[in-house]
Amino acid sequence: MDPATSRPAAVIDNGTGYTKMGFAGNVEPCFILPTVVAVNDSFVNQTRSSSKGSNWLAQHSAGVMADLDFFIGDEGLSRSKSNSTYTLTHPIRNGQVDNWDAMERFWQQCIFNYLRCDPEDHYFLLTESPLTPPESREYTGEIMFETFNVPGLYIAVQPVLALAAGYTTSKCEMTGVVVDIGDGATHVVPVADGYVIGSSIKSIPIAGKDVTLFIQQLMRERGEHVPPEDSFEVARKVKETYCYTCSDIVKEYNKHDKEPAKYIKQYRGIKPKTGAPYSCDVGYERFLGPEVFFNPEIYSNDFAMPLPAVIDKCIQSAPIDTRRALYKNIVLSGASTMFKDFNRRLQRDLKKIVDARVLASDARLGGELKSQPVEVNVVSHPIQRYAVWFGGSVLASTPEFFAACHTKAEYEEYGASICRTNPVFKDLLVEVVDRSS
Amino acid sequence: MILLQSHSRYLLQILSNRVQNVEKGVELDSNWVEFGDIRYHIQASMKNPHLLLLSVSLPTPPPETVFFGGLPLGAIEAVKAAYGLVVQILDPPRDGFNLTVKLNLTKLPPDEENKNNLLVKIASLREVVMGAPLRVMLKHLASRTVAPDIDRLVALVHRPTESFFLAPRAEKVTVVFPMRFKDSIDTALATSFLQEFVEARRTAGLFNAPPCSWSPSPPLELKGAPVEALSANAGFVSFVLFPRHVEGNKLDKTVWNLSTFHAYVNYHVKCSEGFMHTRMRRRVESLIQALDRAKPDKEKAKKTGQSRSFKRLSLKEARSGLKS
Repeated sequence: MDPATSRPAAVIDNGTGYTKMGFAGNVEPCFILPTVVAVNDSFVNQTRSSSKGSNWLAQHSAGVMADLDFFIGDEGLSRSKSNSTYTLTHPIRNGQVDNWDAMERFWQQCIFNYLRCDPEDHYFLLTESPLTPPESREYTGEIMFETFNVPGLYIAVQPVLALAAGYTTSKCEMTGVVVDIGDGATHVVPVADGYVIGSSIKSIPIAGKDVTLFIQQLMRERGEHVPPEDSFEVARKVKETYCYTCSDIVKEYNKHDKEPAKYIKQYRGIKPKTGAPYSCDVGYERFLGPEVFFNPEIYSNDFAMPLPAVIDKCIQSAPIDTRRALYKNIVLSGASTMFKDFNRRLQRDLKKIVDARVLASDARLGGELKSQPVEVNVVSHPIQRYAVWFGGSVLASTPEFFAACHTKAEYEEYGASICRTNPVFKDLLVEVVDRSS
Repeated sequence: MILLQSHSRYLLQILSNRVQNVEKGVELDSNWVEFGDIRYHIQASMKNPHLLLLSVSLPTPPPETVFFGGLPLGAIEAVKAAYGLVVQILDPPRDGFNLTVKLNLTKLPPDEENKNNLLVKIASLREVVMGAPLRVMLKHLASRTVAPDIDRLVALVHRPTESFFLAPRAEKVTVVFPMRFKDSIDTALATSFLQEFVEARRTAGLFNAPPCSWSPSPPLELKGAPVEALSANAGFVSFVLFPRHVEGNKLDKTVWNLSTFHAYVNYHVKCSEGFMHTRMRRRVESLIQALDRAKPDKEKAKKTGQSRSFKRLSLKEARSGLKS
């Protein structure tokens, strides 16, 4: 038997904003890092410009050294801030891997510097967004098998994992809508019996990063004294610490105006260049930030459909026999659903839309037939922030996981194209449900 | 990152989080594995938030190494010496592990710097336990003595069922690593990496470093070693350590670098594979660009016309096709 199957699999969930990584079987990921790579490319440019120079060998080896000279995560952020030789790259954009070189380096550091495991010893579970093209799955497989020699690899779809995460906390069915709001991408994905209904996936061009940008814009327009080079980071911190979802904007404005002392918060920071402390007020943006999901027109001109309407449209486009079950189980996942009362607001607004439709159809039928009320339920659980990772951890700790993986031998036999499909997750999910029920 | 750090990043993160919020005292139970098949388990309960149970399991030792009660020679003494009151060794260890220690966070030194140093030290538990026999031997070297009973070849485990060898003398210690890799590409890369490594040692700036050599066949020092230890597909690396390499604070670093030498080579083999793939990707991209440039416009226009995947037959052709 392969000794690697006796060790816990490594689970890495690469998101646009943050990467969650750890070992299967644990409740929490070991590390949550920003998905950034700070590369020192000063050597590389030198080598290119004067490759004909006399001491090209020295320059070449300097270039090779520079290849190891990079940092990821928080370390990368602080390096690039303090030192101009490092440039920051974001390997993932809008949920898709954009820069494979940076991604490979990022994984390398994840494995060797953070998890500190030997990739040959562990099976790996990676995640991808539901809209990832198969080619990028092939690339991922190529890097994992060729560079890191992993014994086995499984690439799971994020929303399915988010659904799987819910099963252990509450008993429900295999069917549900996953509202995944990450930093760079928002997807509403209906899943029926463990299968993603691909044609009904809806994406919204508004995600966590847009909330940050909106808050940044609001603070700038109000003239808060935030150093411009730091303003995005400040906006992000404000979003993470102070934002909440309100039930009604007008009422919330009144509340703020009546009792500013209670609602307006102070943010304190230190200017990065001079080191002088500063402080700024945090006011309406506390509730206006999350409001972009419910009233997108306050932020963007070209997209004006609120999130509850998108969810409704998504469910309405799903097969008719799954709709009731889908309304009943709407699962939130991703860090940008963590705003206080986000689930309540979503449930209320969605319920409103659904009830209006039921009323309209009742009226049309003229009272001859009464339709059953539709149950709308938005599920929220405490591990929402890394629900996808947790689902991966649960799945990868079942013994069936190892049978579902593509192994190195298979890769060598058939090539990277086997990574295009990761077919057996349905069996895996059924297994999980059996266990939890 | 060029060298592997000696402390486990995750363990350090857990410990410092715990020390900062001792009052909150959340439930904690987690498992993880490090390179060289070292498994960790840490557990803490709500009732006693300042007590942590940390268990470590070591790689399966090959027959030629000496283990006492599942631990390398001198490990218990080393743990006691390194941590003092903070750590208490539990006997028997947790099921499936070789060593379980109880950490008492109330006994940490009060001032910030010492506390942090001790936490880093606890996070390097692996170095203390696995490196204990090596440390003893190198200490003898530093004092230029030889332990009376071990004037022969000593095997120390560093990976599951694999060991490296030490030949201690009064003036020097020779360390020999049989290098084995699973994958054929890894083997080839490691072989050339090690040859370069030996070459690099000869440059002027490194004349103080321990002399190092690589050979495809077992060196003379390994005479008397078991046969299965003498086969290595990436050759044998030997370092000669002199007392000046293990004096004072250099000892810790030397112990760590020697006991993780295989992991170090493995890491760099993977890095160079990554580097090559980066170059290959770049090359493929430039070739595709070149191909795109070479395409004449005329052909493009033609191609769009014929982009249908099947050829339409005229009626006549179809009939003749049916007849034949």
